[in-house]
Amino acid sequence: MATTVQRPGGAYVQRSSSGGLYEVIDVILDKGLVIDVFLRVSLVGIELLTVDARIVIASVDTYLRFAEAVNRLEITGTEQSEGLPQLMQDMTEGGAGNKTRGVLEGAKESLFGSSDDDGDSREGSRSRAGSDRRSK
Amino acid sequence: MSAQAKPKYVYGVVPKAASLPRGTGIRRSRLHAIEDGELAAIVSDAPEGEIQAGREELLTHARVLERARDRGVVLPMRFGVVMPDEDAVRHELLEGYRDELLLQMRELEGKAELRLRAVYDQDALMKEIVKAHSDIAGLSAALRDRPADAMYYERIELGQKVAAAIEQAAIVDLSAILDALEPLAVAAQVEEPDHEHVAANVSFLVEEAQIPAFDAAVDELGRQNDGRLRFKYTGPLPPYSFVELPAQD
Repeated sequence: MATTVQRPGGAYVQRSSSGGLYEVIDVILDKGLVIDVFLRVSLVGIELLTVDARIVIASVDTYLRFAEAVNRLEITGTEQSEGLPQLMQDMTEGGAGNKTRGVLEGAKESLFGSSDDDGDSREGSRSRAGSDRRSK
Repeated sequence: MSAQAKPKYVYGVVPKAASLPRGTGIRRSRLHAIEDGELAAIVSDAPEGEIQAGREELLTHARVLERARDRGVVLPMRFGVVMPDEDAVRHELLEGYRDELLLQMRELEGKAELRLRAVYDQDALMKEIVKAHSDIAGLSAALRDRPADAMYYERIELGQKVAAAIEQAAIVDLSAILDALEPLAVAAQVEEPDHEHVAANVSFLVEEAQIPAFDAAVDELGRQNDGRLRFKYTGPLPPYSFVELPAQD
């Protein structure tokens, strides 16, 4: 059974109906009515997501990555001749989208992505290889 | 053990008159309703022990509530609420919180949750930042072509400036998104960004009749930000972000 139904619509926005679990996992686990004493959730597998999400908060590693991203960019950025439409095309066609996908997004995709094999999914999020999986 | 004495997994609360959603609950258990006064809880017998927050389980929870929403107003429970037996559901949930539940049911009738997440395209964002901040452009030019292990502290300084610039950009983009969409919504709840390239992560409560207009406004935002922001738009959902029980001791 498909977990995500793409709604027809503009090409600029990725839409999902409510059936898409990947989009609603945050709400299901964090929101909704709750009586704390009756909460019986085993978060095995889920805690990985939480840990990963916190890793991205400001750290030296983050700063070095940002610096690298800017430096890498500067080389093409000084070539003023590159028009904006061309840039946009590069971005949508190029592999940059895969590399820049966030850690959490990648992990979530591993857990709820196309694979039906739970063991495989968990392994994916542990190694934080979610973004790589996408490019396969 | 009789059915009444079995632990119950609770999906949500609906008006007593509402019909049960079709389909089964977690572990393919039968859905049934527990009623009290004007309210009913949608439940199924719960498996022993804790509820694994696995893919199937989460999906089932979402699906049951989605189908309930198709039939009218539903107050969704968070994933994983298990009450010891039918009496506990009746007394500690439906009776214990009757006033709050009825009030929220009235407020949420005919409304849906729509979630919008806007994530920067990293390259587009970095280009904007370099253009807008001459100090970043200068520092980057000075560092370029140096070996990766040289100028370590300068690299960190550059990264910090970039991080600050991203934060600034996100403030601007979030407020533009809210300006465009809040007038079409009953309420909006801004979530903390869950990673560094998130410009906005917002849940909106929207009247069903306003959803087409809201869709169009989201599309327009997508057009305006094509290439720099990727939008993920989800819904209509049960109003997960707009229900609440008072804090318990």
